[in-house]
Amino acid sequence: MAPGELSHAIGALKSCNDNLIIGMEASNEDASVYKIDDEKALVQTVDYITPVVDDPYVYGQVAAANSLSDVFAMGAEVATALNLVGFDGCHHKPEVLAEILQGGLSKVSECGGIVVGGHTIDTPEMTYGLSVAGFVHPGKIYRNNTLRVGDVLILTKPIGMGVLTTAIKADMLDEKAVLKTADILTELNQKASLVMREFDVSACTDVTGFGLAGHAYEMSGKNFTIEFDFDAIPILEEAIEFANMGIIPAGTYNNKEYLDLHVEVKKEFQDEIFFYDAQTSGGLLMAVSQKDAPLFLKRLKEEGCKYSSIVAEVKEFSGKSLILK
Amino acid sequence: MKIDCCGLACPEPVINTKKSLEILPDDSILEVLVDSNASKENVIRFAKNEGLSVSDEITENGSIKITIVKGFACAIDTQEDNSKFLNKVLFLKDDKVGEGELGSMLIVGFLKSLLELPKLPKTIIFVNKAVLLTTADENSGVMKVLKEIEEKDVEIFSCGICLDFYKVSDKLKVGMIGNAYGTVEALLNSEGTISL
Repeated sequence: MAPGELSHAIGALKSCNDNLIIGMEASNEDASVYKIDDEKALVQTVDYITPVVDDPYVYGQVAAANSLSDVFAMGAEVATALNLVGFDGCHHKPEVLAEILQGGLSKVSECGGIVVGGHTIDTPEMTYGLSVAGFVHPGKIYRNNTLRVGDVLILTKPIGMGVLTTAIKADMLDEKAVLKTADILTELNQKASLVMREFDVSACTDVTGFGLAGHAYEMSGKNFTIEFDFDAIPILEEAIEFANMGIIPAGTYNNKEYLDLHVEVKKEFQDEIFFYDAQTSGGLLMAVSQKDAPLFLKRLKEEGCKYSSIVAEVKEFSGKSLILK
Repeated sequence: MKIDCCGLACPEPVINTKKSLEILPDDSILEVLVDSNASKENVIRFAKNEGLSVSDEITENGSIKITIVKGFACAIDTQEDNSKFLNKVLFLKDDKVGEGELGSMLIVGFLKSLLELPKLPKTIIFVNKAVLLTTADENSGVMKVLKEIEEKDVEIFSCGICLDFYKVSDKLKVGMIGNAYGTVEALLNSEGTISL
C-alpha cells in the first residue's frame, strides 16, 4: 500500500501493555518488541510479497529474506518462522509450492532460525512470506527514528530493485541481470546487522516498499533533516536503462507523490525517481557516528556487503525532512 | 492506432505501447489511453526515451490520452509537404455529369470549381467516354480548365484503351496515357476516390 493510505488506515489502532516496548503507535517501526524479562524481549514481524522472479525457489528465498530483514533491522536474532502462503493452485503445480517453501527454509536456516509451521490458502495471485519471531536484549534494540545530528547514513544494498523486478515481470531483463538481481534480493541483512552491533549506531531500518526516501523520512521522525548526496546512492546501472524506458512500478510513483512535500531537491537529477523506487528485500539503512563510519564501512565490505555506501548526513531539522543534493 | 491501457498495472501499458509502436509504420500516430499517473509517467518516459514526440491530455471521462508520433521526422513538416494535394483520386467515366447538354455544362463547372479549392485531388483519371474531355478542342472551355489543373501539378491520366476505342489517341492534349495497373494502384493507394 502507498505510505499515506497505510498510516491513515492503521492510525486508529491502539494497543497498550506494560511489557510492550514497541507497538503500533511507536512511529512506523519495522517490528514489534515485547519484553519477556530484563534480559530478553520478543521481536515479531510479518511480511509477504507477490512473485518478483520467475524461479519459485528463488522467489521463496527473496520473500524469506524480505520477511527476516525486519528482525535484523531491530538488531535482533531470528528464532522461529511460520510460512504464510497464498497459493494459486489453478495455475501452478504443487511442486511449485514445494520449491517456494524450500527456498524460504534455506534462508531461515542460513540465519540460524527454524521453520515451525505455517498456513496456506487458495488465492488468485500467489503470495508468500513469513511471520518471524526473534529475540533481542531489551536495552539493545535499534529503533528507526533515534538519530543524532552529525551521524551519517550507510546503505548496505543498491537501489533499483523495484525497477528491475518490474523489468523481470515484463520479461525484458536478460539472464545475467536476472541472476545479479536475484543475488541482491536473496542476500540476508543478518551480516550487516551483526556488524552494526560492533559500532556506534544510533538508529536502523531496512529499505523496502516505501523506497529509500520513504524509509529515510520515517527515520527523520520529522525531527531531523537528512541530507542525501544523490551521486553517492548506489543505483544498479541495469535499472537505469529500464527506468528510462518507463519500466517503473506504480509503488515508486506513489512514494514520490506522498513524499514530494517533504523533500527539498537542490538541483535536478536525471534519475531522481530512484530515490523513491519501491524496494523488495532492500538493504539496511543505518545511522552511525562520523567517527565510526569509515571502519564500519570497511567491516561491512569485508562481510560481503559490497555495495555499502555512505549516502546521507543527519542535520538539525530545517523545514524539510529530506534534502537531495 | 488507439490502445486502451486503463486498469492495467505497470509495466503492461509500456509493453503494449512498445508492441504497438513496433508494428506501426513510421510517421503514424499512436494514442494510448491510461487511467493512472504511474502509467502516464511510464508511457511518456518510454516514448521520450525512444526519441518520439509525445503529448498528453485529460479526456472527458477523466482518463489520460497520450499521443505519440512514431518516427523522427517531424509529423507537421510531413503534412505540409503533402498539403498541396488531397490524397484522393477523381475518377471520371463520362464526359458529362448526368445526361444531355446540362451534363456537359456540369462537368466543366465541376472541374472549374476544383480550382477554387484550397487543395486539389492528387490524381484525376479519365476512363471510357471521359477521354473525350482530355481530347477536346484546344479552345473549348473544358480544355482550358484541364490545362489549368495540369499546371497545378495534378496528375492527369487518360485510359489508353479508351482513347483507342474512341479513336482519339492522337488528340490527347493534357496529361498522360494511363494503363490499368497504374489506375488501380492510384485508386487503392489514395485515401478516397471520388467518382462522378
